[in-house]
Amino acid sequence: MMASSTSEVRLVIDGKRMDGRGPEDLRQLRIEAGVLHEADGSAFVEWGGNKIICGVYGPRECIPRFLASPYRALVKCRYMMSPFASLEEHSRSGPSRRSTELSKVIREVFENLVIAEKFPNTQIDIYIDVLQADGGTRTASITAAAVALANAGIPMKDMVSAVAVGKADGQLLVDLGKAEDNFGQSDTPVAFASRSKDILLIQMDGMLTRDEMARVLDMAERAEGKIHAVQADSLKRHYEEAGEKKFLM
Amino acid sequence: MNGRKIILPGEKIADARVQVPGAFNDSQATYASVVGMLDEEGRFIPMEKKYRPIVDDVVIGMVTDARHAGYDVELNLPNVGFIPARDIRLKLELGDFVVCKVREVTETGDMDLADVRRLPRGQMVVFPPAKVPRLIGKKLSMINLIKENVGDILVGNNGYVWISEKADIPLAIKVVKMIDEGAHFSGLTDRVAAFFAKEKQNKVI
Repeated sequence: MMASSTSEVRLVIDGKRMDGRGPEDLRQLRIEAGVLHEADGSAFVEWGGNKIICGVYGPRECIPRFLASPYRALVKCRYMMSPFASLEEHSRSGPSRRSTELSKVIREVFENLVIAEKFPNTQIDIYIDVLQADGGTRTASITAAAVALANAGIPMKDMVSAVAVGKADGQLLVDLGKAEDNFGQSDTPVAFASRSKDILLIQMDGMLTRDEMARVLDMAERAEGKIHAVQADSLKRHYEEAGEKKFLM
Repeated sequence: MNGRKIILPGEKIADARVQVPGAFNDSQATYASVVGMLDEEGRFIPMEKKYRPIVDDVVIGMVTDARHAGYDVELNLPNVGFIPARDIRLKLELGDFVVCKVREVTETGDMDLADVRRLPRGQMVVFPPAKVPRLIGKKLSMINLIKENVGDILVGNNGYVWISEKADIPLAIKVVKMIDEGAHFSGLTDRVAAFFAKEKQNKVI
């Protein structure tokens, strides 16, 4: 069968992707909760080639003061890519157009989840540092931040996990890698609340038909279940086994 | 963990609307809002929690500002506590450790404090507020055990622990850390007692 691709690059051959995955397989995902001493909550995610660390602080005094709301805590997010994170990024890692956008969309995900009314006049800070990027850092960041917030004890209505589904080589693929993202036809990151299945983030690069979009959401929801299981496992490990090992010395 | 189950935010913990700390309701059920665990009787115990002051809580803090009207007290919270000067006779200084009761909390979390007592020199340790009940124990069993073996120690609901300079501070910090790490295991008081016994033996040798 000929691939109906507009690009010359072959990304899917015989139903297998470049790294040997099937269309619905995720890359290797590993999450570690509570990795930082000084942050109130933290998480480290390795997802394929992505390495992302997330620290959460708060609720704490809101700075600047005039932004504070007497009704709710402010959720702030700062996403940053290290200078050495990927090929494109160069020596300076200050705020860029891209990181500003990602900070905003990630913040909006958690504004919908955190029960902020309990902490008036305060702010909750989410710091995300991408140490190594391999496609899909925004979804990996959201997945990491959810674990870090739970680890910090900040009340949330739900957990959230995110995954990018896209089209490359004419096929719909879950959890796009860097090449599939760069040379594919579409990239659609989706974030699902774990219990209510509310969509908290959806963006789309490139083109998809209506029919494909529906399938993308289906595939993302199935993948979400797998990611949530890894998140849950990381927190369980942090609270059960780690404590047990230290305690029964 | 003997049959206990870890619960994540958003997981259902009861099929009815019940008021539990660390949980929220929708129209039919109750869901956890923080990481916690369900014990054998199906009770939800939060394992991470942000302290929110309640009237009559005992809190420990440090004086950070002295003004004509009164004193500001840092309490490990986004808001500072306030001691009105007209309520107390003693003069406080910056850096003093105080233990007091929460008399009033406003909607935005600002507090007035009462029943102020200045603490002698000592060391302050931060402890997770969610685990404070474990550090105190049933009928003060745990804190009394520590007092017997270590010396003067005081726990505030806000998570600050004060250890007297006359006490064995390194040992006290060790024990407080131990309780922090093992807070969700049963028989904690016995284990701490065993730890003290072992520690004593080591000292003799």
